[in-house]
Amino acid sequence: MGTPCHFALFQMQPAFQLDLEQLSARYLELARGVHPDRFADASEAEQRRALEQSANLNEAYQTLKHPAKRARYLLAISGHELPLEVTVHDPEFLLQQMQWREELEDLQDSADLAGVAVFKRRLKDAQQTLNESFAACWNDAAQREQAERLMRRMQFLDKLTYEVRQLEERLDD
Amino acid sequence: MALLQIAEPGQSPQPHQRRLAVGIDLGTTNSLVAALRSGLSEPLADEQGRVILPSAVRYHVDRVEVGESAKLAAATDPLNTIVSVKRLMGRGLSDVKQLGDQLPYRFVGGESHMPFIETVQGPKSPVEVSADILKVLRQRAEAALGGELVGAVITVPAYFDDAQRQATKDAAKLAGLNVLRLLNEPTAAAVAYGLDQHAEGLVAIYDLGGGTFDISILRLTGGVFEVLATGGDSALGGDDFDHAIAGWIIEQAGLSADLDPGAQRHLLQTACAAKEALTDTATVEVAYGEWKTALTREAFDALIEPMVARSLKACRRAVRDSGVELEDVKAVVMVGGSTRVPRVREAVAEAFGRQPLTEIDPDQVVAIGAAIQADTLAGNKRDGGELLLLDVIPLSLGLETMGGLMEKVIPRNTTIPVARAQDFTTYKDGQSAMMIHVLQGERELISDCRSLARFELRGIPAMVAGAAKIRVTFQVDADGLLNVSARELGSGVEASIQVKPSYGLTDGEIAKMLKDSFQHASDDKVARVLREQQVDAQRLIEAVQGALETDGDRLLDAEERMVIELQMQELSELMKGTDGYAIEQQTKRLSQVTDAFAARRLDSTVKAALAGRNLNEIEE
Repeated sequence: MGTPCHFALFQMQPAFQLDLEQLSARYLELARGVHPDRFADASEAEQRRALEQSANLNEAYQTLKHPAKRARYLLAISGHELPLEVTVHDPEFLLQQMQWREELEDLQDSADLAGVAVFKRRLKDAQQTLNESFAACWNDAAQREQAERLMRRMQFLDKLTYEVRQLEERLDD
Repeated sequence: MALLQIAEPGQSPQPHQRRLAVGIDLGTTNSLVAALRSGLSEPLADEQGRVILPSAVRYHVDRVEVGESAKLAAATDPLNTIVSVKRLMGRGLSDVKQLGDQLPYRFVGGESHMPFIETVQGPKSPVEVSADILKVLRQRAEAALGGELVGAVITVPAYFDDAQRQATKDAAKLAGLNVLRLLNEPTAAAVAYGLDQHAEGLVAIYDLGGGTFDISILRLTGGVFEVLATGGDSALGGDDFDHAIAGWIIEQAGLSADLDPGAQRHLLQTACAAKEALTDTATVEVAYGEWKTALTREAFDALIEPMVARSLKACRRAVRDSGVELEDVKAVVMVGGSTRVPRVREAVAEAFGRQPLTEIDPDQVVAIGAAIQADTLAGNKRDGGELLLLDVIPLSLGLETMGGLMEKVIPRNTTIPVARAQDFTTYKDGQSAMMIHVLQGERELISDCRSLARFELRGIPAMVAGAAKIRVTFQVDADGLLNVSARELGSGVEASIQVKPSYGLTDGEIAKMLKDSFQHASDDKVARVLREQQVDAQRLIEAVQGALETDGDRLLDAEERMVIELQMQELSELMKGTDGYAIEQQTKRLSQVTDAFAARRLDSTVKAALAGRNLNEIEE
């Protein structure tokens, strides 16, 4: 990591449970200071620096804002960089994935908008539970493997959320 | 001009100068320029008091006509009169051909892939045509504000891609405007309503123009605007309402749908008039030739319902893209003339569960907001703190990978500025070069995406396939313009490109246009120099008059005073004419004959200041 820690940028301790309101407030405060618009009249060098700092700030904010990205980042700074794509050995979750997917297909076939709403709520609950489990174990070296597994589950649920959105779009047509 | 230099101690000779900056809405159909005056943002009018400048440019052999009169000539001189040029901005010859036969112009290719339109004044690129519109707005602003502009904020649709943004910037440069910022139109509209000043929360901007529909979801937090998502329909607008009514007339009157262009235009004008009338009345009489009947608002609402529904669908999608719910939206801003249609307002109110904001003229709201932002960027502080706009990129940016697929590097709706890197590797043993193909779009296949640029990274040391690590970095600045660089990490060889969009102008073309614009601008320049000379002369006259009033009797004898008054009178006479050189010479002469008077005044001011003080005080 050549750049300073994202958490330090926002004057926060590395943690999974973050005060998102505070994060967002700090982000806006920092963005005010470095945004290129503040340097519309400045020298080219200053403008370039503002551009770089601002881009870095945006990247840090996006990473910390999203639970799955934040989880991944925490694991990366507390251990080693994780490959994006790996074969996951998580049979228990695999089974659940298949169930979720089947349900989603049924919802599509029946064009059941109320059903989609219920599905979305359940998905949200599942994400919440996952977040809590991850928060409890990520900082414990002995549970590293479990933390990585949970992080990958989070990524999957993100993907599923995206698919639900696409389904909503199709049903809207 | 020695007389001007006398000032009371502690007072600056000139009042604090406000830095002049304007907001420009460079629209498809109409353009406007607005500025902040006495704390109020308002559109600037031309000499006839009109604020709207139709985006129509007609080329004559020796001059350029812009605006209302050019628009009227579109029917009689279609080849030399360019309308809706915004649709061509940043487009390639092939894109333009897809627009098809609806465009009457003769296109020719240039040095770049940009299409040029053949006119009596030679080939004109869309950038030049836009620059001609911008020039008129610049002149209008300078005349209205009485000074040179520090810069301008120009608005662009949120969906404008890199090439279209670059083309807009090029046009501004050609028109002699310093672009402080390209601003997304919806953001400008939200600024116009001052939503940054109080509201916190989500805002939707519903923009239904003549030919396009845009919806944007913004989040406001403590004076910061964040664009969360944008969407829309590039083929949906008020013109479709006219077509719906026209279709209804054809059906009701039993006309043949096969009308000649003249009849068609007349029919559409009738339809448009009926649409506009129905904003204020419940029924309107529609007449076409002998045929005549009443169109009720109810029937009209039914005619446009499918289009209104399409716009609402795009709204729901944008809200979903933002990851929020419809109920979370705290304010809806209406932009574009077509939002005057009562059914549109009603449908939007139903969809969002709240009355939309309509107080500001929907045709002017974008320019008004741009002017507010321009004023802030020019360095003029405003009440209620500074405003910060955080925009997103409207379309994903990526690279071509094996198999003709698009690999996204920066997904759409990412906050800018942003820099992101992705690593790639070689696929052949000993491969020494790699082609980087930069793309924009949401589709998987590169053939469905827009090609922005290609460049090559050379000098990769010989290695087995897959051993080289090539990091490609994308950087998007606050205007949404892209820079791409590639670097082989082992050897450090590097290549980069400032994405000259494939359909932008080549440097040669820009140079030629700048040269042309200097030639054509000679008239403008003469006018401008004359105005400057007049201003200088006027300033001197006022200063001399002031000095004569206060010190003339005390410091001048009758003859001296007469000489000064004669020269001043002479200058006043010359100022009524247009001989800039004569004005300049006479200004010098008046300045010369007042030199001695100025020196005496200075002396007496110093003496008066020193009177009654002792030496110690003065040394301090």
